[in-house]
Amino acid sequence: MSPELIVALLAAAVQAAAPILFATLGEILSEKAGVLNLGVEGVMAIAAFAAFITCHVTGSATLGLLAGGLAGALLCGLHSLVCQVFLGNQVVSGLALTIFGVGLSNYLGTPYVGIGTEGFRQFAVPLLGQIPVLGAVFFRQDAMVYLGYFAPVAVWFLLSRTSLGLGLRATGEMPAAAAAAGLNPQRLRAFGVMAGGFLCGLGGAYLSLAHTHLWTTGLSGGRGWVAVALVIFAFWRPGRAVLGALLFGGVMAFQLRLQAAGTNVPSSLLLMLPYALTVLALVFSATRARSSARKAAAAPAALGVNIEPEG
Amino acid sequence: MNVVIRRRETSLGWGALVVYLGALALALGICAVLLMLSGKPGLGGLAILFRGAFGQGYSLLDGLVKAIPIFLCSLGVALSFRMQIWNIGAEGQFALGAVGATFVALALPGQPWPVLLPLMFLAAMLAGGLWGLIPAGLRLWLGVNEIISSLMLNYVGILFLEFLVFGVWKDPGSFGFPMTAEFSPGGQIGRMGPALGLNLGKLHWGLLACPLAGVAYGVFLSRTRLGFELAACGEGERVARYANLPYGFLVLLVMGLGGALAGLAGSIECSATLGRLQPTVMVGYGYTAIVVAWLARLKPWPIAFTSFLLASLRVGVEVLELRLQIPAAFGQIMEGAILLCVLAGQFFLDYSVSVRFARLRRADSAAPGLEERA
Amino acid sequence: MAPQQSRTDIASVDVLPQVRLVGVTKRFGAVVANNAISLSLMPGRIKALLGENGAGKSTLMAMLAGRFKPDEGHIEVAGRRADFTSPREAIDAGIGMVYQHFMLVENMTVAENVLLGQEGGFLLDPAAMRATVSALAGRFGLPIDPAARVGDLSMGERQRVEILKLLHRQSRVLIFDEPTAVLTPPEAEALFSALRTMSAQGKAIVFISHKLEEVLAVADEIAILRRGRIEGEFLATEVDSPAELARRMVGRDVVLDIARAPVPLGRAVLDVRGLSGGGLKDVSLNLRQGEILAVVGVAGNGQQQLVEVVCGLSRPETGEVELLGHGWDAFSKHHDWDGALAWVPEDRAGLATCRSLDLTDNLLLTTRQGFSRGQWLQRARAREAARRIVRENNVQPGRIGLPAWQLSGGNLQKFVLGRELLRKPRLLVAEQPTQGLDISATEAVWQQLLAARADMGVLLVTGDLAEALALADRVAVMFRGRVMGQFPVTDAAQVERIGALMAGLSEDAA
Repeated sequence: MSPELIVALLAAAVQAAAPILFATLGEILSEKAGVLNLGVEGVMAIAAFAAFITCHVTGSATLGLLAGGLAGALLCGLHSLVCQVFLGNQVVSGLALTIFGVGLSNYLGTPYVGIGTEGFRQFAVPLLGQIPVLGAVFFRQDAMVYLGYFAPVAVWFLLSRTSLGLGLRATGEMPAAAAAAGLNPQRLRAFGVMAGGFLCGLGGAYLSLAHTHLWTTGLSGGRGWVAVALVIFAFWRPGRAVLGALLFGGVMAFQLRLQAAGTNVPSSLLLMLPYALTVLALVFSATRARSSARKAAAAPAALGVNIEPEG
Repeated sequence: MNVVIRRRETSLGWGALVVYLGALALALGICAVLLMLSGKPGLGGLAILFRGAFGQGYSLLDGLVKAIPIFLCSLGVALSFRMQIWNIGAEGQFALGAVGATFVALALPGQPWPVLLPLMFLAAMLAGGLWGLIPAGLRLWLGVNEIISSLMLNYVGILFLEFLVFGVWKDPGSFGFPMTAEFSPGGQIGRMGPALGLNLGKLHWGLLACPLAGVAYGVFLSRTRLGFELAACGEGERVARYANLPYGFLVLLVMGLGGALAGLAGSIECSATLGRLQPTVMVGYGYTAIVVAWLARLKPWPIAFTSFLLASLRVGVEVLELRLQIPAAFGQIMEGAILLCVLAGQFFLDYSVSVRFARLRRADSAAPGLEERA
Repeated sequence: MAPQQSRTDIASVDVLPQVRLVGVTKRFGAVVANNAISLSLMPGRIKALLGENGAGKSTLMAMLAGRFKPDEGHIEVAGRRADFTSPREAIDAGIGMVYQHFMLVENMTVAENVLLGQEGGFLLDPAAMRATVSALAGRFGLPIDPAARVGDLSMGERQRVEILKLLHRQSRVLIFDEPTAVLTPPEAEALFSALRTMSAQGKAIVFISHKLEEVLAVADEIAILRRGRIEGEFLATEVDSPAELARRMVGRDVVLDIARAPVPLGRAVLDVRGLSGGGLKDVSLNLRQGEILAVVGVAGNGQQQLVEVVCGLSRPETGEVELLGHGWDAFSKHHDWDGALAWVPEDRAGLATCRSLDLTDNLLLTTRQGFSRGQWLQRARAREAARRIVRENNVQPGRIGLPAWQLSGGNLQKFVLGRELLRKPRLLVAEQPTQGLDISATEAVWQQLLAARADMGVLLVTGDLAEALALADRVAVMFRGRVMGQFPVTDAAQVERIGALMAGLSEDAA
């Protein structure tokens, strides 16, 4: 492999990591507040379409991005409604959301298959883009990737350096304690789910605005599920989410390159790689969580448990 | 205004029917709105859908045919849902079942059906069951979340199926289409109509698997000790440990059985409706089965009924597709919307909601006459 | 009925009550949890609220804390009517609660817990938060490491965190719900002096308890709550003895001393020698048929680990455990459902029973081997047995088709105990069997246990010293995984030292 090829591969890995990173961060927010959202796949699918159609109509990628985020937040609001108000099972509601979201995205998007969109184009960051190797890998990307560099810091900051984040974490660990402290756990959960949905939506928007620049069905292709898995792999920490997303971006970029290069390996086997790797990552994090006595590796204590009404 | 929510102490009885119908109506309403958004007649579209699903004898038969794999997969996932094990890998187990059956069918061509079909079923159940055992084992011994591992194995399983039909199993005579050679007659499940001298459309003998599996499921859960232990395990691992229930064994059992049932469904599907293996065998029955299991609250009769309902919905959507040029994804939307609405509606089965309006401020109302209710 | 004394304001008239409840009524369906309650909380006074479980204490407190709204009547704070619509408003009004089950997030630090909801700004500065909590702790003499994870703290320390929360919010009314349930006697003493200090600083303190001696030791005023009503309110000095207080609380004479006829001792049923590991250190115990051995100690000192080993849940790491004459491995691999071991765990609603299953199924939970032929269940027989248990133990309501969650704690416990005794065990492990039960249910359970010991050895794990002394033939005191002492209850000198042993104060501790 030539050095140029390796640099190109790494740059592609960073690009492929971006949507997964946004989605993983979104799911971290939701789960930190105590709500398991298995609807990420559907949310990304919807958001990808919302972003595409907005960009297609208005011509503005930024508006498209915003639309993607809002669509994600809205759909997750539905999850919030079903689980928090109607006390529906979070696993089932998330699955329903995925089925609904993927279906809706394909349904609405069918007339637009094959239509291109401007979206976000790559540009070199002044100065930084000139750094050998690193510049090419990290700083000749599109605007959303650059946004992706800040997102983990922002999520970390929100969770550990703001009162809102403290309340979110308390709600995910023990809603009753948050309530006793005068906070409103239901509202905090709804915020976590919907803010998380916004981030997942950004991830979905990336797919249509920056990844393909073209509308096709089935864009999310399991990335939402990978994100849910990566939250476990990341031990619910934004920093480790970056690591996980890069790992997956790397594998996805790698198998795409191999396919493009016309290798003998059947494409079905190459396509299996990310999914098999997800299972491996789960096995890895499970064994790590077992061996380390660190409580920080554990899921939020009230994750998946609805708040029962009283009174 | 004061909203009071309380857990019901007695079941809602017939009111449950109202709840279900209401939720269904809401979901259908959402779907009608979506139809209108894309410039199609909303209620008219629904009418076409229902006529397509239930209007003719053959459409009902078609629904019954589609209900077979859904019912079998659904029984399998319901088994694991009963103990709070979230097996959402029926789709992949279905794929592996189809692969297993095809392996036998291609390896033993020309055998008579009494030999070949049982072997195919066996191989399918074995393959599906083992595929289901992977997430079970990972969960038991390594603590890996079975939701995601079983789902990821769906993708892997389907891609494995594609790998085979695009590659080593591809029929040289298929003009490049990804499909295996047609199974020999002994490897194909026959239709019921000709044998019974009735016009039963595509209905095939695979239907017989449904009552067999359904009765076994019901008897197992309500009459046997192991079935009882399974229900008790649904309360969590701690209770299982306290009561000395074989939790680990049961996890393996339900995932293995669930996989076997999904595998059986896969083999029936490719043997009876396609007569060969091709990627189009995967149409999402495994996911519909999850919807069915939850809508039916994991009970065998409702699972049978709901399987038929959602299968008919698929038939109706096919008609809608043709008549109004609606994308096939409309069926998925309907399933998702119905599940979301019913999930929200089931709240009213377990909780009572009363709205009370604030009384006038009576500061010193000692409220005599209320104490005898204490 | 006890003579009804009803006075609203006992303290001097010139001091305004901090909080006043005026005719507060709260109903849950047909049940009146609080019935026209009027109560005044005065600054600088400690008021004990005494009542059995189910008397309505928690409902009353939940209304003060803003979690429930009264159906009738209202609450006044500093003379002004306050209609709390959320816990936040109650906190802002200066009412603070220390709940029986601490409202602490184990996975967060002390500082984060203390300042939760009171961060004083959107951005957090962890160092400043720690400094704030340190300063607060220093000012009130409640030393604690603000950076420690709450999950790593002892129960006494956690309670300190709860108190710091209230102090930080400058609550003027502090409500303590059963605060000594998880404390060692010395920790409880420290709490009492802290209560007196805070009261001297002008805080109004409510002390909820059913431990009569404690109430007499710490309270200025006592209010008795019975079946949702205030049945009497008087100064602590007006009461002569715990027995009199008990009579006022229950409304009749209570026999807290139950007759205990000696039973001849039989074979050894449990022999633990040098058991270590999993938090246990060199534990040795033995138990014979015909006796009750009480393992006492504050929760979390290894009792649970001991129970798990005895009941076959975790394998002993080092040391010998012999059950009914068999080694641990042989016994726990294949012991029979009956004639061997039965276990009444502390968590009767979440562990001993399945909440959504009916009583017949809950009976089958541990006795299913006895009600099946091969793999087939014999439900008809099981229903018959469930009916018998319900009848013989007076379980209310007595319908076996009801799911477990519809039974009260006491009735559920009677059912569980009946079920476990149906197994005719030779070794019975009973954990906190009367926790949260009212006095009549407690008496019933005690009688059951005493009668049962003729046929079995009973390992009674309890944090309630009174229970241990009332039932046990011998007592073993546990502290940090170690048995600090083991002696017959007749050994008065040793019994005197139990409190010290529970706190780890022992001159002969290795």
